[in-house]
Amino acid sequence: MKKIAVFGLIVFQIIALGFVDGNQATTSPDKAEESLQAFQKMLTVIKHNRCMNCHPSDDHPRQGDDAHLHLFNVQRGKDNQGLPTMRCNTCHQKENNPYSNVPGAPHWQLPAKSMGWQGLSDAQIGEVLLNKSKNGGRSLSDLLHHMTKDPLVLWAWNPGKNREKPPLSQQEFAKAVKTWIDNGAVVPK
Amino acid sequence: MAKKTFNRRKFIIRSGVGLGVLFGVGLLGRGPLRRMLAQTAEETILPFDNKFDAYLWFEIKPDNQIILRSPKVEMGQGIFTALAQIAAEELEVDWETITVVHANTAQGPIDFVSTGGSLSITGLYEPLRALAATMREMLKVNAAELMGVSVNALSVKNGEIVGGGKKMTYGEVAEKASNWDFKIDQPTLKSKSQFKFIGKALPRIDLVAKVKGEPIFGIDGSFPDMLYGSVLRPPVVGAKFISATPGKAAQMPGVIKVVIEKDFIGVVAESRVQAEDAKHQVDVKWQMPEKLLQQADVDALIKVGAGNDVVIQTEGSVALTGENVFIREYFTPMGAHGHIEPNGASAHYQNGKVTVKLSTQVANLTRKEVANALNIKEDDVDVQPQYLGGGFGRRLETPHAVEAALLSKAVGKPVHVFFERTEEFQNGILRPPSHNVLKAKLTKDGNIESIEHHTASSDVAFDSSLISVFLKPMSNDVAKAVVGADFGAWRGGMIQYKAIPNYKTVAWHAELPFKTSWWRGLGLLSNTFAIESFMDELAHETKQDPLAFRLKHLADNEKGKLLKSVLKAAAQQAEWDKPLPAGKARGIACSIDVGTPVAQIAEVEIKDGKIKVNKVICAIDPGLIINPDGVKAQTEGAIIMGMSASMFEEITIKDGKMQPNTFGYYQMAFIRDAPEIEVVLLSSGENPRGMGEPPIGPIGAAIANAVFQLTGKRLNRIPLKLEG
Amino acid sequence: MKIEFTLNGTPQSVDVPENMPLLWVVRDVLNLKGTKFGCGKAMCGACTLHIDGDAVRSCSYSAQYAQGKNITTIEGLAPEGSLHPVQQAWIDEVVPQCGYCQPGFMMAVANLLDKIPNPSDEDIDDNITNLCRCGTYYRMRKAIHRAAALKNNL
Repeated sequence: MKKIAVFGLIVFQIIALGFVDGNQATTSPDKAEESLQAFQKMLTVIKHNRCMNCHPSDDHPRQGDDAHLHLFNVQRGKDNQGLPTMRCNTCHQKENNPYSNVPGAPHWQLPAKSMGWQGLSDAQIGEVLLNKSKNGGRSLSDLLHHMTKDPLVLWAWNPGKNREKPPLSQQEFAKAVKTWIDNGAVVPK
Repeated sequence: MAKKTFNRRKFIIRSGVGLGVLFGVGLLGRGPLRRMLAQTAEETILPFDNKFDAYLWFEIKPDNQIILRSPKVEMGQGIFTALAQIAAEELEVDWETITVVHANTAQGPIDFVSTGGSLSITGLYEPLRALAATMREMLKVNAAELMGVSVNALSVKNGEIVGGGKKMTYGEVAEKASNWDFKIDQPTLKSKSQFKFIGKALPRIDLVAKVKGEPIFGIDGSFPDMLYGSVLRPPVVGAKFISATPGKAAQMPGVIKVVIEKDFIGVVAESRVQAEDAKHQVDVKWQMPEKLLQQADVDALIKVGAGNDVVIQTEGSVALTGENVFIREYFTPMGAHGHIEPNGASAHYQNGKVTVKLSTQVANLTRKEVANALNIKEDDVDVQPQYLGGGFGRRLETPHAVEAALLSKAVGKPVHVFFERTEEFQNGILRPPSHNVLKAKLTKDGNIESIEHHTASSDVAFDSSLISVFLKPMSNDVAKAVVGADFGAWRGGMIQYKAIPNYKTVAWHAELPFKTSWWRGLGLLSNTFAIESFMDELAHETKQDPLAFRLKHLADNEKGKLLKSVLKAAAQQAEWDKPLPAGKARGIACSIDVGTPVAQIAEVEIKDGKIKVNKVICAIDPGLIINPDGVKAQTEGAIIMGMSASMFEEITIKDGKMQPNTFGYYQMAFIRDAPEIEVVLLSSGENPRGMGEPPIGPIGAAIANAVFQLTGKRLNRIPLKLEG
Repeated sequence: MKIEFTLNGTPQSVDVPENMPLLWVVRDVLNLKGTKFGCGKAMCGACTLHIDGDAVRSCSYSAQYAQGKNITTIEGLAPEGSLHPVQQAWIDEVVPQCGYCQPGFMMAVANLLDKIPNPSDEDIDDNITNLCRCGTYYRMRKAIHRAAALKNNL
């Protein structure tokens, strides 16, 4: 767990709605700029279909490099794990299946609908990430962990045959996330 | 035989003519002969299917169970049930005492050509009844002797022979009698009014096995100590195998042997996954085609005006100049059979003989190919057909039987192989695309004066290995030259609106650089889509009711009358005269195939920007009906399959690869897409007509016509899409 | 890899490659052929069976994950000598044609009824996404409603 550096000279109120619940940060202009740049880097990954497909703002996951609606009209369901007999685990297991090429990773499921990113502006994505009432109650350190350690997120860099990887390497992405958070978790207005 | 042997005799005469004509190649340059041949093919579809006697036989067990060995295979069409009903009728047994099983080739010659063309019941109805009746009478003769009672004093009921105060079961007679070497006169067969089983909606006899998941399908076949094979197939259209070395594959876990034959590479392993893993490690050299095939190449080939043309129908003098001339074109894409059971086979080669279990529509051809490949006699190959997990024409080619047999021979143990699903798409046989052009000239008062239909497609029958069986000794190439265009592809393409004074149909044929195939109904779906969409367009252009417009252009010939009756029956059931509520509309279409007329009315709406078929009303007249529920099931199934093909399915080719190559992306109808279906059964005539394929004809056009009614937009391309 | 699980109520132990799809364990190793291979891509549902109460497409389920699980196939859907309400309804409505896809459908439907005892048409449309090529869907829908009624009246 990383301590977030707090610099008191200037309070940089970044988020349009004010500081987000619990993930408040203050930082210097230089650091803020560095953080923002890191966030822009992160966005290239976040907005890649490998990640976006599973962060729908509606109840339908997407799939494929072209982000088509998941075949079979697959739906979110009450627990974000699908409908009663069309569960995520009807087809997806803990790892990519070498024979069917069905992708898999531990706890394969949709994030809560509040974590949907599709159709959002960069600023809105930032807000969703930081707002604890939307991000599943995650602190910045929780976020760091989710984005750099969660095996379901890491799957994006091991997506199996015929699936494009995000534009940054996993190491570059992890570094960007850390830089972003270390410098105040600044997101665009 | 009973007096009514019309079907068989007619077939024999027909095929005699056909063969005579086909032998005399030089005679065939002239149009009328070609047309005669075309007409023959149109009316009987496969004039040769029943050329050879059907081989049917019963076994009677001591416990009075009767086993019927079917020369035709059960692929879901319900033929085993229908055959049991037909047999029980003349045998005078409870139909439940009859078990129907597939005949193996080792048990004697079975159906010589194929199960297909909707001809099984048509062809077997009379012979099976005659055989059953004859057997019943022969049992009676022997019973009379055993019981010491005059034959005339005997009667039969429920598998028992009764008379003179005594009785014996069939089983007892069969067991005790030793002399069967006598001839009796063909007994008179029952008339329709005497039927107890024929015409009843009895449940399918394979229901319990099918709901319990019993191992009855081709791919379920197994032998003790069986190994698993995997076969390398060409990666793109036109790639040819040159050579291979086992490479790393030989050392992979579980691998028994990498088998490299002249034109064939297979890996045999202890488990299927090991075989599959190893197959990707074989070092194989393919000779790639100079240029990879693209969809544009296919489109250029399958086009009216490209390739060979042959006039298959002509009447009067078609004139298409001046006012009121309409010209339209229609397209259908390549399609897959979509059988859920992939093609697979298990084979056991031992001491120069081989047994093969698989799903096949062509057991005899399978046997011949296996025998040739292994260089053994056909008698040393026992092909054991199993239940088919869907047929639809895909089981007319069985290279996997040869693969399994060769691999088994190579390792000395039984081997199971199958096509992976991607290989079914890439290396299987697809339905060819089609292009149709229709032209018509109408009179001022809205009658069609002349109509001309041009139908273009590729091989359906010609590409089939099957054709070599019945056209022997002619090669497929000679057959193509003689007939001019593929008679399977033009199926459903002739104009049936014979109140039109002048009509003409021209079939265009071009060869694609890959094999294409029979598919349920062959050209019926695409040709009906074109003709029946065009009829609808003409009706709307001249502001006439599409139903009335059709009726007035049908003549009072046999087919015309049949079509009129189903059109009227469907219209009545659908309440054609009462408009549907706003936002919904109906479309109508009809076709006649293997003698069976079908009319369908589709009710559609636009939901979430997409076409939704809510209901289909279908009237069909398959002649004498053996099992009304079976006929309904076939009709429902054909409608859903045809709807799926018309609305969702399409394969294109890019860089020599078929796209898509999996289910899912090759979209087929789900339960949510299936409409409610009402089937109105008509039954005219004394004999059954074809049933499995005819109801697939009108559905595409019926939907497209409804969409036009609803949106004013004419969709002339399958799959039907509102956008674009 | 040695894997132990319960299949249709009976403990089983198999020694197979860890990634072998459970489908092949069931079909080839344990010789139960009711679970079908259709596409090998989890696209058609012919291989549907139950694992710990969920419907699973077994062509895409590595054998290693079966360790300790409770697995049911069509052969074990009903006790020996009896029929599950879904199977009975399938017979009553004469659903199967070729029959190949039907075990997968019946397993999916049995699971649906466990979770939604009275499914609406919409529930059926959303949850039953197996493929049938013979086009038995119209009867199948009727059979699903009938099976629900049969099961609820047991």
